[in-house]
Amino acid sequence: MTNKERYKQAFSVLHTSDDFSLEVEKMAIMSRKNRIKTAVAAIIGFFALTLCTGGAYAANVGGIQRTIQLWVNGDQTTATLDVDETQGSYSVSYTTASGEEKVISGGGISVDMFGNERPVSEEEIMDHLDMPEVTYNEDGTVYVYYREQAIDITDSFDDNGICYTHVKSGDKEFFMTIKYNGGYGIDTVKYPNPKNFN
Amino acid sequence: MRPSLQELVDKYRNNLYAVAFNVCKNAEDAEDVVQDTFIQYYSTGKQFETEQHVRAWLIRVAINKAKNINSSFWRKNKVSLEEYMETLIFETKESAELFETVMKLPEKYRIAIHLFYYEDYTTSEIADILKISVSNVKVRLSRGRSLLKETLKEEWEYDE
Repeated sequence: MTNKERYKQAFSVLHTSDDFSLEVEKMAIMSRKNRIKTAVAAIIGFFALTLCTGGAYAANVGGIQRTIQLWVNGDQTTATLDVDETQGSYSVSYTTASGEEKVISGGGISVDMFGNERPVSEEEIMDHLDMPEVTYNEDGTVYVYYREQAIDITDSFDDNGICYTHVKSGDKEFFMTIKYNGGYGIDTVKYPNPKNFN
Repeated sequence: MRPSLQELVDKYRNNLYAVAFNVCKNAEDAEDVVQDTFIQYYSTGKQFETEQHVRAWLIRVAINKAKNINSSFWRKNKVSLEEYMETLIFETKESAELFETVMKLPEKYRIAIHLFYYEDYTTSEIADILKISVSNVKVRLSRGRSLLKETLKEEWEYDE
């Protein structure tokens, strides 16, 4: 038996679970499925946030629903935010200008410097929803959206597929490093080093 | 060309799952990666030159997404690799040993090894997928093989 045959035999045990399904009809609804993955973003800011929100989290357990103003691709729209702080999950539903119902959902666990985990709080989710976002459009263009701003960065990637851009709105300012078709890092002080994220 | 999503799901879901698992070592995360990769395919509307081009694109996107999960500060800790391995039914004891040894390799060697031995990619194709030089791929493969040989001994042959 060759190494390739051995390897393939060993890894042939890996397959998606039986309930894995990806119905094409559901894709439109899921096209803005978001996950909280700000990670590479502002770690310093995160620790500060963890300390600030600890008390609030303990006193505030269960589902929360509220109406929020959400920026979607440069346009502000009214949306309904549902948060389950016991699970650290959220969903945001809104109607687009063309009348289409959209749902964004996600969630996350925050880990402090000692490795302790807890579900993310409503405040952290709100902060996450108010972060710049990179979008790859069907026409091949790449945009950074932040609040009312839509920045076309399609031609701003260097030979290594890295783009550095800076967004500012009101009191919020972010430095972004974006890898083409990969991850992106956000920091409030300086451009994240592309070596520090994938 | 642009194959239908369902066709790609049927054909590549397990390949993407294997490559994603290879990176993030977690079944739930790997499944999320597969789903997110297909969602990205669906939402980009990108055209491809050949089927191999589509396959390489899907694998590259899956690897990037899996790496993002790994580097995510918000990463969920779920079932451990050891617990998950207990649910897998390997054909032989040697297969289980090889699987476990590969999963213990550093990530950068593991991905190169997987693309070479499982996906049958050449070093230049791996370089293109990982956006690194061919010589870098060769180094990663060579170091990965040496580490496998060290542990697996006669169960792993010297090769190039």
